[in-house]
Amino acid sequence: MLTAFAQIKRYNKEYVFLIEQYACNTSISERGEHIVDHFTYRFQLGPLVFDLATIIMIVVTALVVFIMLVAMTRNLTAGVPRGTQNVLEWIVDFVAGIVRSFMDTKTAARFVTLAVTLFLYIILGNWLGLAFNVLTVHTPDNTSSEFIHQLAISSSDQATAAREAKIMNAFEDHSVHVAWWKSPTATASVTFTLALTVLLYSQWIDIRRVGVGKYFKHFLNPIHLLEELVIKPLTLPLRLFGNIFAGEVLISFLLSASIFISTIPLIIWLGYSVFVGAIQAYIFTTLTMVYISQKLSDGH
Amino acid sequence: MIDLGALTLEWGSMLFQFIAFLILLVIVRKFAVGPVTKIMETRRQNIASEIEAAEKNRKESEGFIAEQRRLLDEARQETKAILERASKQAQDEEARIKHEALEAAARIKAEATAEIARETEKAKEELRKQMAGLSVMLASKIIEKELDEATQKETIDQFLKQVGDRL
Repeated sequence: MLTAFAQIKRYNKEYVFLIEQYACNTSISERGEHIVDHFTYRFQLGPLVFDLATIIMIVVTALVVFIMLVAMTRNLTAGVPRGTQNVLEWIVDFVAGIVRSFMDTKTAARFVTLAVTLFLYIILGNWLGLAFNVLTVHTPDNTSSEFIHQLAISSSDQATAAREAKIMNAFEDHSVHVAWWKSPTATASVTFTLALTVLLYSQWIDIRRVGVGKYFKHFLNPIHLLEELVIKPLTLPLRLFGNIFAGEVLISFLLSASIFISTIPLIIWLGYSVFVGAIQAYIFTTLTMVYISQKLSDGH
Repeated sequence: MIDLGALTLEWGSMLFQFIAFLILLVIVRKFAVGPVTKIMETRRQNIASEIEAAEKNRKESEGFIAEQRRLLDEARQETKAILERASKQAQDEEARIKHEALEAAARIKAEATAEIARETEKAKEELRKQMAGLSVMLASKIIEKELDEATQKETIDQFLKQVGDRL
């Protein structure tokens, strides 16, 4: 269905590779039009909807973390650390430092693994989407109605039908772009899952510490109820998602503009996004530890 | 799923992410945090024990140095005592030798004086003997020559004068 060619551009010393794939019948001149609205391939298994791009990126990010760690831990020594061991020890020590700033050293040891996993997964996830994009460009000629249906799957039949109509509509004045590679953290499903996982974990710590009765008594306080059930579960994932998603939208937008105009802003924005990616990983990890440490004592 | 345009929550993706995250937690524990924590702890203990050993060695050396210093002080005092004693001995010896020398000198001088007196006495005795002999010789010569009384007297006076001068 698709034939593609890859275009690799090298920007100064940044080595940013931008791979864009096009259907062979898409002319270069078409690039630059309406590119910001990306679709993704979805599929349904029973009641569950999966997003293929998200699944690919979850697997890729997890594999990158895994391979990186295996490569770094091949020759561990208790003596003088060399090469990658220094980096790994620095990472573990840095993240452990975050954890230790909110609880005593002995308790902190229990949460270092969680913090390191969160930090590495989020920071690498944030950065993976910056390395390059993979898009396929679809026109009515090379796209089956089944494929369009997969792109359109949504919360309800009506919503799906509406999206299908939107895609068919888009075909009339331009091609439809389907994303296959992006930051996993630019997907709300991913950030909400990570956030809810750690928040539920913190609630579980609270239940285990104070007992079920006392735990539910907390929620008689409306402020507390609001904080635990609305504010934390919304702010924690949305902050990460918003930052990374906005970064990727701007990157797609800049990529869609003329190379002559957008190259320099793109380099600047990519550099800034690397910074934002690191900062957001740091913030997410830090807040997770703050929320957990709140549940470790009666202090709040 | 929840679809709010850009923000979509697909339960399937979320389930997948949840499981992937749990697996990743296990992997990170097994490959990174576990071994690294262990190694850092081992290193911490190594360093702690080395510092402790160094501290112990330092204390030991301090003990040794104090001991050495004490021994050195003792030796120095001993040396001083020995020198003092030797010096005193030398002074005593000097005094004794000087005293002996003086004594010896006095004795030798006394002996010499006695010797001189004795020799003088001896010489006088000898002279007296010679004078007697000479007197006899003179007397016989005078007799032989039959000298007159005046000449005889004059000769004897002259002789006696000579003898008196010599004595």
